[in-house]
Amino acid sequence: MKKILIWLGFICFSSQALEVRVTDEQGNAIAGAAVWLVGSKWQATDQQKAIVYSMGQKDRSFLPHTLVVPSGTLVDFPNFDSILHHVYSFSKAKSFELKLYRDKPLAPVSFTQPGVVELGCNIHDWMLGYILVVNSGVYGVSDEQGKVQLTLDSSQLGNVQLNVWHERFENLDSPESKSITITQTSQIVHYQIQQPLLDKMEFLTDDTDEYE
Amino acid sequence: MIQTNMSKSVVIAVALVQLSQFAQAQQVTAKLHGLVEFTATTHSEERAWLRKGWGVARFDTDSDTFGISRAVLSGRMDFSSAWSAHAVAHYVPDPDHKIGFTEAFIQYQPLAQGYQFSSRVGGFYPRMSLENPALGWSSPYTFSYSGLNAWLGEEVRTFGAEFELKRAARRFRSKHDVSLIGALFKGNDPAGTLLAWRGFVPHDRQTVFNERIAFARVKALYARQLRFQGQYVEPFSEIDGRFGHYVGVHWSYLKRHSLRVYWYDNNGDPGALNYVTKQYAWDSKFWSLAWRSKVSAETQFIAQALYGNTAMGPRRGVDNDFYSWYMMLSHTFGDYRISGRVEQSKVMDKDSWTFDPNASLTQGITLNLSKTISEAWQVGAEFQFIGYEAESRPVAYLPLGLHEQLWRFSAQYQF
Repeated sequence: MKKILIWLGFICFSSQALEVRVTDEQGNAIAGAAVWLVGSKWQATDQQKAIVYSMGQKDRSFLPHTLVVPSGTLVDFPNFDSILHHVYSFSKAKSFELKLYRDKPLAPVSFTQPGVVELGCNIHDWMLGYILVVNSGVYGVSDEQGKVQLTLDSSQLGNVQLNVWHERFENLDSPESKSITITQTSQIVHYQIQQPLLDKMEFLTDDTDEYE
Repeated sequence: MIQTNMSKSVVIAVALVQLSQFAQAQQVTAKLHGLVEFTATTHSEERAWLRKGWGVARFDTDSDTFGISRAVLSGRMDFSSAWSAHAVAHYVPDPDHKIGFTEAFIQYQPLAQGYQFSSRVGGFYPRMSLENPALGWSSPYTFSYSGLNAWLGEEVRTFGAEFELKRAARRFRSKHDVSLIGALFKGNDPAGTLLAWRGFVPHDRQTVFNERIAFARVKALYARQLRFQGQYVEPFSEIDGRFGHYVGVHWSYLKRHSLRVYWYDNNGDPGALNYVTKQYAWDSKFWSLAWRSKVSAETQFIAQALYGNTAMGPRRGVDNDFYSWYMMLSHTFGDYRISGRVEQSKVMDKDSWTFDPNASLTQGITLNLSKTISEAWQVGAEFQFIGYEAESRPVAYLPLGLHEQLWRFSAQYQF
């Protein structure tokens, strides 16, 4: 019975999701791309804006690496490590700094201005994370197969601007966008990134990379 | 005299008031971390050098078979975004339940969008080692440090100011981190004394501030020419009033390959002597080259080499070249880490004082298996072989060489 319910849930969910498949210029799937829809029908609901989102620090990395939030929301910065993190941003969309201990959480930070917020740690300078503040309630980040499932209901069909951003863009403040027409809630959209991506930065860090 | 004391007290009082006002105005946060290491060990029959013996193993028959081998308390206080104060205190049972600071400094590290400038002022380790990145300058690989880093932990400490300019890879969307480091310091004049009258020894006994380390009964220290030299070293004391310096470069590629190159020169005046503390300034200078490569997320290779010279006396009566190197492989699987290290160190006597032979050769193999049980607890076993020869031993009617094979089992609690 449980299995049937799970399958039913999956079918219902998948039938109501717009699937965006992100690829690079060569057609390879691109993970970690932020995707969001802009238009009056795709605004964030009050319920979405009431959520306190979370950008954690675990094992000296930001978790998640890329977080998409609707503008006007709060983001919490829980530190799951036993050591201090000094999280900061100089970005136009939000400039701030927090000295964070695991057992001394600080108040969440409000993100009102849409844009890309690049996060760093002043102690562990290899730590890098992004918060994308978007004027949208329909957004996601692509998985290893380059796929993003955007949940829609039937009132959200129509012409919409699809925005795509990736940390390997030359200019981080310029997302790419494309007009698409959503005709059904279970549609698949292919999006090919229009620019060459910068090299992958696969830093290899562990607990032997300095205590502080 | 009374006036001087009065004015000193006024200055300290004003400084305290200003500090407390500053602390109230700013968000001040503080955090303590620490560790306690419990050790069960086999002993060397030779009396340890810390107890004025000729032994080259830290634990001798006077050491506890089971007990606390080390405890560390490390504190950090943040006064503002850029300013923080740091202190690390150690307890060690040998030779006489020593408690003291190994580091205490103020750090200035403002947020930076591009190049990062930072500075430390106080007493601290130069960051030459890639073997000692853990809490309290511990090694996450082995209980005993290489002879090279054990010596740095004994006789080399900065009491001054260090400046760093860093081009952090992430901030420039680059794969390369590059740092330039420079420091000016005082108070490290006798560095090199232990190399002359003992040599390099692999262990984990860090020297605390103002500590005095004794020597074995080296015959030469009773000679007329060395009558002003104490039977001990106070490695961090100031003798000649001159500034020493070091410069270094750090480079790393995606944090997979790291290189640290340092030139250290305490600029000691070998003719300078403090008749009260019976300590000479030694003219000590050396290169340190450290390399680490992460072969994979589980396996890493670390190597370091030191090459330099140290001399004391107005006519450089003691004048020694020295080198030390080690190579280590470390591999993790699940909660286990296995590490193996081989090393060799040599002190080469260059002077004409034949009554004082300083040449020594130390070779070592260390194997360690550790298991992380929880965030707080870690246990492990270590086997250590030390082969040691010193020209000063036959003068004291001892065999030239000495071999040690030791087992050590430790449990570490960290908070």
